[in-house]
Amino acid sequence: MGTVTTASADGSADSTSAAGHPTSLAVSGVNKSYGPASVLRDVSFELTRGHIHALAGGNGSGKSTLIKVLAGIDRADSGVLSRPGHAGTDLAGFSPAHAREAGLRFVHQDLGLLPDMTVAENFAFTRGFPKGAGRRIAWRKLHETTESLLGRFELDVSPTTVVRALRPADRAMVAIARALADDGPEQVLVLDEPTASLPHHEVDILLEGLSRRARQGQTILYVSHRLDEVLSLADSVTVLRDGGVAATRDARGLDQLQLAELMAGRSLGTLYGDEGPASSAARPRPAGGPVPVLEARGLSAGGISGIDLEIRAGEIVGLAGLLGSGRSTLLRTIFGAVRPASGTLTFEGEAIAAPSIKAAMRRGIALVPEDRLADALFHESSVTQNITVATLARYVRWARLVRSRERDTAAGVIDDLRIKTAGPDQTVTRLSGGNQQKVVVARWLQRAPRLLLLDEPTQGVDVVSRADIYERVRAVAAAGTSVLVASSDVEELVHLCGRVVVLRAGRVAAELSGEAVSVREIVRYSYADQEES
Amino acid sequence: MSGTRLREPARESAEARPPAARTGRLSAYGERYGLVLLLAGVIAFFSVLPASSTAFTSTANVQSVLASIAVVSVLAVAAVFPLACGQFDFSVAATSLVSSIVCAATMSNHDALLPVAVVCGVGAGVLVGLVNAVLVALLRLNAFVITIGTATLLPGLVQWYTRGVDIVRGVSQPLRDFGSLTWLGLPRVIWLVALITAVCWFTLTHTAFGRRLHAVGSNASAARLVGIPVTALTFGALVTSGGLAGVAGVILTARNGGGLVNSGADLLFPALAAVFLGATAIDPGRYNVLGAVVGTLFVAVSVSGLTLAGAAEWVPAVFNGAALIIAVAVSTLLARRRGGPLAGARQSNR
Repeated sequence: MGTVTTASADGSADSTSAAGHPTSLAVSGVNKSYGPASVLRDVSFELTRGHIHALAGGNGSGKSTLIKVLAGIDRADSGVLSRPGHAGTDLAGFSPAHAREAGLRFVHQDLGLLPDMTVAENFAFTRGFPKGAGRRIAWRKLHETTESLLGRFELDVSPTTVVRALRPADRAMVAIARALADDGPEQVLVLDEPTASLPHHEVDILLEGLSRRARQGQTILYVSHRLDEVLSLADSVTVLRDGGVAATRDARGLDQLQLAELMAGRSLGTLYGDEGPASSAARPRPAGGPVPVLEARGLSAGGISGIDLEIRAGEIVGLAGLLGSGRSTLLRTIFGAVRPASGTLTFEGEAIAAPSIKAAMRRGIALVPEDRLADALFHESSVTQNITVATLARYVRWARLVRSRERDTAAGVIDDLRIKTAGPDQTVTRLSGGNQQKVVVARWLQRAPRLLLLDEPTQGVDVVSRADIYERVRAVAAAGTSVLVASSDVEELVHLCGRVVVLRAGRVAAELSGEAVSVREIVRYSYADQEES
Repeated sequence: MSGTRLREPARESAEARPPAARTGRLSAYGERYGLVLLLAGVIAFFSVLPASSTAFTSTANVQSVLASIAVVSVLAVAAVFPLACGQFDFSVAATSLVSSIVCAATMSNHDALLPVAVVCGVGAGVLVGLVNAVLVALLRLNAFVITIGTATLLPGLVQWYTRGVDIVRGVSQPLRDFGSLTWLGLPRVIWLVALITAVCWFTLTHTAFGRRLHAVGSNASAARLVGIPVTALTFGALVTSGGLAGVAGVILTARNGGGLVNSGADLLFPALAAVFLGATAIDPGRYNVLGAVVGTLFVAVSVSGLTLAGAAEWVPAVFNGAALIIAVAVSTLLARRRGGPLAGARQSNR
């Protein structure tokens, strides 16, 4: 079924794949370098009409550069794009106009929609407003054309709805419909990490919509580092690694681990860095001290109510639940960033009377927040300064910050956590998402916390960095630190945690341990309304 | 849309382009010291330009240029503190006017001794800073608006108090001397300015306080979540800027030989221009003390040179405005091309 293409495809566009599907578009021999550093090396792949072809690769694999070359934003040094019935286009002189002409339609991660405008207005901004007498906007006409377009895409959305009010998956579909709105030549839809900002349960809805489009003959190039999506959605997959094509495979023959290893270029043992997809019996169940490290009784705050929770030394406890179930609020309340309305928090046997971030930190509580960009990174600052910011007092001598010692610490951390950076003085924004996350984790590990709170620790983190982070979390837990992980990635919780607390609508819906820690159970309690705890 | 596109280069460059880092370092030096080199170039130019060379290089001119920057540069340094933590303070110049009047009035109208007058002058600045701090840091009102408010209100109060009459009687002679005489060939005020600059530079770049202040300015939410007392630091920064503006006011009294009703408040834009100009140098992308002082020097030197070379009266203003726009444009574009700090950084996942 799927095309089987090798890295050295000759790029002749009129070729047809085994099953007789015509090639929709072929890219061959793309090279691109910045100075002496080569970012793309002889990259070739083919897209089959009506198929979903995934482009997978870790951070730094050249994935984004390749997309930018195809969009005409970055110039390749060489390379050819060919379509059946057309002469090949030299990618070295490719522009956004060329990309449009070639039928390439891009939807980027942030969708490019104006959230406070209506669906129809969003369409009009790319297609133009239909004009009536006196150049006024012909609103009715606009709404009609938009309506019929939405109908074509089987989107049950009104043209007059404000985009912000749409559910996330519908927003993505609206962006896709907009990209494909003009009936140009044969179009190829390029989706760049479309699910990165979608809540977990919305992802399936979007993927289902995409499959439907493909069955109707839409060719899709799907860029993602989410293994499960790639495997469930794509017909074939091209894996990029270090700027070259590591492999092009039929997606059906692959499992997640194989795909991850292709991306990493090395054996990963298992995806989660543990001894195997959790046979929960083998999972260490630490004895813990007689007194729990953290004890919450009837804890309530905005969005959570009556939470009871106990964490013992060296335990990794998971916090599951849907978006809005109160996971983040609970972590923030424990960290002193949200004032509890009622209930008690006891830390190592001592009641926390006046909760504050400062008091929590003094007690040895650390929080890696959910939103890295908004709540954790100091964007203009170096890797070093981002690592030492929570431990600055250590580097002060006679009122002066001893920068050389800060840098030494950072250099050690960079080695230790395998952070990919040009050096300790590199601006932190120039790191990949996974490496930024390692920086934030390292910042808190510097304090040798007694209780580590992790909020979505691997969101937007590539699979290799994930494994590194899991490994580190296990190591600190083994050394006696208690860990509370909130995550919407259920697999992650199952692999990492000995015990999982499921929240639903701000309350504890279930507490699972031992054999009960499974994807099925967690999902069941996350959604279930029928049974009360 | 542009958010993703701008952020993309940042994501890959770290691993994809290490060799570019070397050329990057060279251009980083260029960026860091660009303004300093430009200043040297301007000095060299006017020193050899026949029309200005003799007068420009004379001791008298050097002294007068230095003396002229004293108040502006202290105001610029004052403004760096709130800017470092992400807040504007448009009231620094008006505050210096108030301090200058208070300092002169305590001597003239109340026969106070010089030290008392100086303390009152600086204290007035601290007081204004406190008012700003309460409104901005504690009540979380918009600093941009609030300090424009204080900057408008204060000169009005000065007019009311003085009835529009300058205070020149009874100003202590040692203070006047401090404003007009030299030590070791340099204007006395410049020594004070140098001391203030050094202390503030050290505080902002080499202490934990300065680092934390910049952290608040960089990302207040993240700063709070690493235990940095955001409110207290913002409060402190505004009080500091008020206090420094108070010092600038005392220098102003010394330079003018009294409290002049129409002096000082007009220094706001030159001071802010110097800070923004300075943010393109020394520690590019950050409001910094040395950059601010280099910025004031650059403006003062070019104005002096242009004037001595016989340029028409409108030229210095156009020159300074253009210099500011070009400097900020060049440094911002460079940073953007590097995929640098500000490129799409604020794009959030939600």
